[in-house]
Amino acid sequence: MAHHIVQGHTEHIRDMQESVMADDSQRNFRSVYYEKVGFRGVEEKKSLEILLKDDRLDIEKLSTFSQRFPLPSMYRILVWKVLLGIIPPHHKSHALVMNYRKEQYWDIHHALHVIRFINDSTPQVDVFLRIHQLESGKLPRNLAYPLEPEDEVFLAIAKAMEEMVEDPIECYWLVSCFVNQLNSKHKDSLQQLPKILEQYLNIEDSKLLMHLKACAAMSKLPYDLWFKKCFAGCLPESSLQRVWDKVISGSCKILVFVALEILLTFKMKIIALTTAEKITQFLENIPQDNTDAIVSKAVDLWRTHCGTPAHSV
Amino acid sequence: MAQQGNVGELLSMLDSPILGVLEDITAAFKDNLICDRGPMLVNSLVDYYLETNSQQALHILSTLQEPHDKHLLDKINEYMGKAATRLPTLSLLGHVIRRQPSWKHKLSQAPLLLSLLKCLKTDTDVVVLTTGVLVLITMLPMIPQSGKQYLHDFFGIFGRLSAWCLQNPGHVAEIYLVHLHASVYALFHRLYGMYPCNFVSFLRSHYSMKENLETFEEVVKPMMEHVRIHPELVTGSKDHELDPRRWKRLETHDVVIECAKISLDPAEASYEDGYYSASRKSCTNLKHHQTDPSASHYIDTQSSYGTSTPYSTPRLTLSQLPGQLPQILSPQSIKLSTEPQQVTIWSPSAVCGMTTPPTSPGIVPSESSQSTSQPYSKAFGTSAVGKGTPLGTPATSPPPCTSDDFVHVSLPSAAATPPKKEDKPDSGRPSLYRQQNVISSDKSLDTSGSKSSVTLSDLPEFLGGLSFEDSAEKDREEDAISKEISEITTDAEHMVPRGGFDSPFYHTNENLSGSQKKTQSVVSSVQGHSLTSEPLTSSLDKPGPESALETPKQTFTPIDKPCGGSGESPAGNREGTSGETSILTPSPCKASAQGRAVFGSGQPPLYEHLFEVALPKTAYLFVGKKTEELLKKAKGTQDKDCMSSTSPVEVLDRLIQQGADAHTKELNKLSLPSKSADWTHFGGSPPSDEIHTLRNQLLLLHNQLLYERFKRQQHALRNRRLLRKVIKATALEEHNAAMKDQLKLQEKEIQALKLSLQKEQARYHQFQEEHEGIVAQLHSQIRQLQHDREEFYNQSQELQTKLEDCRNMIADLRLELKKANNKVCHTELLLSQVSQKLSNSESVQQQMEFLNRQLLVLGEVNELYLEQLQHKHTDTTKEVEMLHAAFRKELEKAKLCVQQQSQRLDASQKRIAELESQLSKKDHLFLEQKKYLEDVKIKARGQLQAVESRYRAQKRITQAFELEILNLFGRLENSPLKKLEDEKTEAAEAAEERLDCGNEGCADTVAGYSEETIDRNGETKPPSTRGSSKGGSNSELSTPEKKTEPEIQQSLGDLHVAGALHYCPTDCRFTPQLQELPWYEVTRVVSQQK
Repeated sequence: MAHHIVQGHTEHIRDMQESVMADDSQRNFRSVYYEKVGFRGVEEKKSLEILLKDDRLDIEKLSTFSQRFPLPSMYRILVWKVLLGIIPPHHKSHALVMNYRKEQYWDIHHALHVIRFINDSTPQVDVFLRIHQLESGKLPRNLAYPLEPEDEVFLAIAKAMEEMVEDPIECYWLVSCFVNQLNSKHKDSLQQLPKILEQYLNIEDSKLLMHLKACAAMSKLPYDLWFKKCFAGCLPESSLQRVWDKVISGSCKILVFVALEILLTFKMKIIALTTAEKITQFLENIPQDNTDAIVSKAVDLWRTHCGTPAHSV
Repeated sequence: MAQQGNVGELLSMLDSPILGVLEDITAAFKDNLICDRGPMLVNSLVDYYLETNSQQALHILSTLQEPHDKHLLDKINEYMGKAATRLPTLSLLGHVIRRQPSWKHKLSQAPLLLSLLKCLKTDTDVVVLTTGVLVLITMLPMIPQSGKQYLHDFFGIFGRLSAWCLQNPGHVAEIYLVHLHASVYALFHRLYGMYPCNFVSFLRSHYSMKENLETFEEVVKPMMEHVRIHPELVTGSKDHELDPRRWKRLETHDVVIECAKISLDPAEASYEDGYYSASRKSCTNLKHHQTDPSASHYIDTQSSYGTSTPYSTPRLTLSQLPGQLPQILSPQSIKLSTEPQQVTIWSPSAVCGMTTPPTSPGIVPSESSQSTSQPYSKAFGTSAVGKGTPLGTPATSPPPCTSDDFVHVSLPSAAATPPKKEDKPDSGRPSLYRQQNVISSDKSLDTSGSKSSVTLSDLPEFLGGLSFEDSAEKDREEDAISKEISEITTDAEHMVPRGGFDSPFYHTNENLSGSQKKTQSVVSSVQGHSLTSEPLTSSLDKPGPESALETPKQTFTPIDKPCGGSGESPAGNREGTSGETSILTPSPCKASAQGRAVFGSGQPPLYEHLFEVALPKTAYLFVGKKTEELLKKAKGTQDKDCMSSTSPVEVLDRLIQQGADAHTKELNKLSLPSKSADWTHFGGSPPSDEIHTLRNQLLLLHNQLLYERFKRQQHALRNRRLLRKVIKATALEEHNAAMKDQLKLQEKEIQALKLSLQKEQARYHQFQEEHEGIVAQLHSQIRQLQHDREEFYNQSQELQTKLEDCRNMIADLRLELKKANNKVCHTELLLSQVSQKLSNSESVQQQMEFLNRQLLVLGEVNELYLEQLQHKHTDTTKEVEMLHAAFRKELEKAKLCVQQQSQRLDASQKRIAELESQLSKKDHLFLEQKKYLEDVKIKARGQLQAVESRYRAQKRITQAFELEILNLFGRLENSPLKKLEDEKTEAAEAAEERLDCGNEGCADTVAGYSEETIDRNGETKPPSTRGSSKGGSNSELSTPEKKTEPEIQQSLGDLHVAGALHYCPTDCRFTPQLQELPWYEVTRVVSQQK
């Protein structure tokens, strides 16, 4: 009997491996070539669809996929919701759970309405914030209370998310869960990021680092904007969501590389600036025209330094 | 200084009469000039010339070489500025230029040209003007392209002088104007010939002005009647004709001829065009035609020289004319000087003729004709007509008429008639001329006497009778002539048929003045007569000499060309013999041949005509030789008349100058036969004045003469070139002939080859036939042989079949033989076997007998043993059999048992396998179940998490509410609305109770949750929890919106109600229906229940 069980177990493992392998084998053999030429994500959509067809969604596979490839925009919200635990991995319970979520949202919304924290004219982002506060039990005594720094972070992320997601309920849940994830899962690593940034900057461009240090700007870089708000408000949404793909799928190191790439891209300008304030100000308001390229380069840089994320079983 | 002195001495010796000294001096000067580059010698020479008018000095000056030209030109320019020396300077310039020095192109840059132009523009002396114009005309073709910058100066001069001719502002003698007019006419020709477009445009602009209109009508228009349209007017343009490229190809004489080409005036015109066009096509024909008349002339002359051939005279005279005319003319004119007609002639011929008997026929007549004609025209105011007539008669029809007119008008009828009579009648008066000619030819110059015998009055008589005769006689000759002329000249009139000639003659007979309409042929034929008749009539009519002079010209122009090349006539001969040479030379082959033929009696060469065919090239040379001989002869005859052997040019110049001196002397004695002289006589002007006039005139004449000579030189140059072309053409012809001969030879060869080809073909045919015959024979043989062969073949086949049959038979026989042999052998074998068997059987029988005996013995022994055996035991066999059977049975039983056991084993084994498979299936099932369970668990957990979060949210909501409520209560308590307090205490208490309950519930739930978290098996929540949560939700629902205090109160009331309601159910339990309903439904239901 034990033998059978062992056999079954190995079969199970093999199944899993095969399904992972299917990722590669079912990919078009040309995809390597496509990548070389520069077209990325030609075949990813198909493999993602295959992944999403599984009844019980494999969250790990999805996160690995999200780390390795850019997500197609049509599946992005779904993947995010799954990865953030807004909906369970079972397709059947999606509707039910979403219904719960919806009810919860409206319940809280109603309650806030009742206690007059919000009204019809309250901006959506504030509504989200209040709901979040209520949910996390941090609702201030009244509206006059000043906003906490974490509320600012929430607002920034919510603003960005609002641009990406249409449905307010989904949007709220995504923001809320994203912020929760940041606060719980990445809390420790986020604090390490400035150091890591300095370390990689030294590898990539020591001159720039010297300059920044000379200006004493290293400590004054907009770390809050970059690592706490995850570039919300810094990059335009189209670029931002590609960064968030990686963050949501579990890697907050990408943030370092985006920051690094921003520094490298605007190296000339930064070197031209001599005071820390100016540098900070410039970096807080970087030009928005070439951010896609920055993100692409950042992803490449991330790959080269951290290697291709492998699927760990 | 020494040198200067030397120069003075040399100069004084320059004109020494001793020839040797002269030559030495000239050589010395030339050496000096070569050595010395300074201007001194040239200057002194010029001074000397101007002082003494020395010919030697002039000669040296005119042959100056390059480095000295500048000095000479400067010197001349210097003297040109002074009015006193202007005229001699001009004439010196003229002399120098006519020499065509190598530095002539420098003239255009020299300041001399400017001063000359200036002089022509400003000077008022007619003589200077005329001389200057002639110099200019001479100069123009030398500097055609460089002269263009002065083009407007030239035109201006033309305009000025033409106006001068008409208006005569200086009031000089009319006679000068005639000269001026002539030179202006020449200038007109030159300008029109060289720069037609510019000139025409100048004319257009200049004469469009009203004040110039008269000049145009009177002077220019008549001039224009003597030019044809210049082709440049059509094809060229103003710029193009000034283009240096146009002039680069043309030499001076080319330019002169170009100008002459466009002239219709016989005195000026060149007939080259006609000559070329006709000659290019039918060169030989033309030559023949041309030569015909000349040949006849020649014959005539010869005959006249040798014997008397009366009827051919007219042309004879012609040929002789050039040489003899002036001599004939002049004496007559002198004698008959009193004639009124002569008054009109201020012609140089007359003047010269008077003093100098022998002159060059080619030049003098032409000049005279021009000069004579001009006075006429001037005198009668019809300058155009006057000019036209003398020159134009042969070429154009109108001029004759006009000349008629003017003759009628101007001249006395008596004077007018003779020329006409002469012209026309001449053709019909052979006999008379014959005589004259005979005489004249015999004695060349002595004719005057005999000629004088025939008077003018006689002429009409001759006319009437002889016109027909003569024409008939000369029909042949004249036909040839007319042909020739029609080819040479383009005039239509010349083409008039023979009959046409006659009729006008009749007319003229009746109407003497009526028709001078004679064709060229008539003129040419007549000229001799007219000339000769002139002296007879002794009326020196213009038409007479003119026509006479024209004829030489006309025959001259076309024929003269070969003269230069073939003739090589020395300069000395030119004057006297040019007429002859011109006639003799052009007819290169035929003329000479014919001439020889006729000439034959005296001269040996009867074979001459062969040259034409055999040696066309050498013919020219030959002709040249012949003509030279003839010339010598002629000279010989002439030498009697004119002994002068010096250079004709010098002679002419000297003659005219000397003549001028002689003339002045004579003038005092004789009254001049000139009209002006008459005038002066009648006018009463002093004789010295007249002398002056005459001198000037003479000078002018000399100038004109020099100009014409210049022209003639140009013509000669051109003629030489043309002759070269002719020679080339004939060379080519010869080449052609040679080629034709070759062609013929080759054709012959081809024919011969063709013949041989035919022969070969015939032979080939023959051979072929023979061959065919042989082939046929052989074929028949072959056929026969084949037939034989077939027969033989058949025979052989038959024989072969037979042979085979035989072979078969032999084989059969052999087989039979073999069989027989076999049988024999077999039988023999059998026999031997049988004999063996027989021996064997015998031995076997013996053995059998032996064995039988043994058997018998043994049988007996055996019977003995059997008897012994039967007596021994037979019991043990039964026991063994029994044992065997028992063991066999036991074995079978054991086998069956084993079979049963194995079957059972199989069954159990199968059973085990089945069970094992079932087991594995079960395992699978278990696994699946596990998976499923896990799945379900996860699913449930997911849902549960959602629910949990929802629940937490609800909790938060309630907390918020509670907070809010507490807040509100706090406010309520603090507010002044105390009165309400009493009423609401109950409600407040109730609310507090509720809150406590809620708190308990909360605690419960917390406990429940903790329990739950501890026990993961998911126990159902205590009903209290659910109740509390439900209550919360209900209460939440039942508190819609309350913003004011009363509303809050109400909401509290509601809460209370809700709480009451909430509590009831906990006791009495909700119906499952209600449990399933959503909370708002529940409240509705509850409220309804309530």
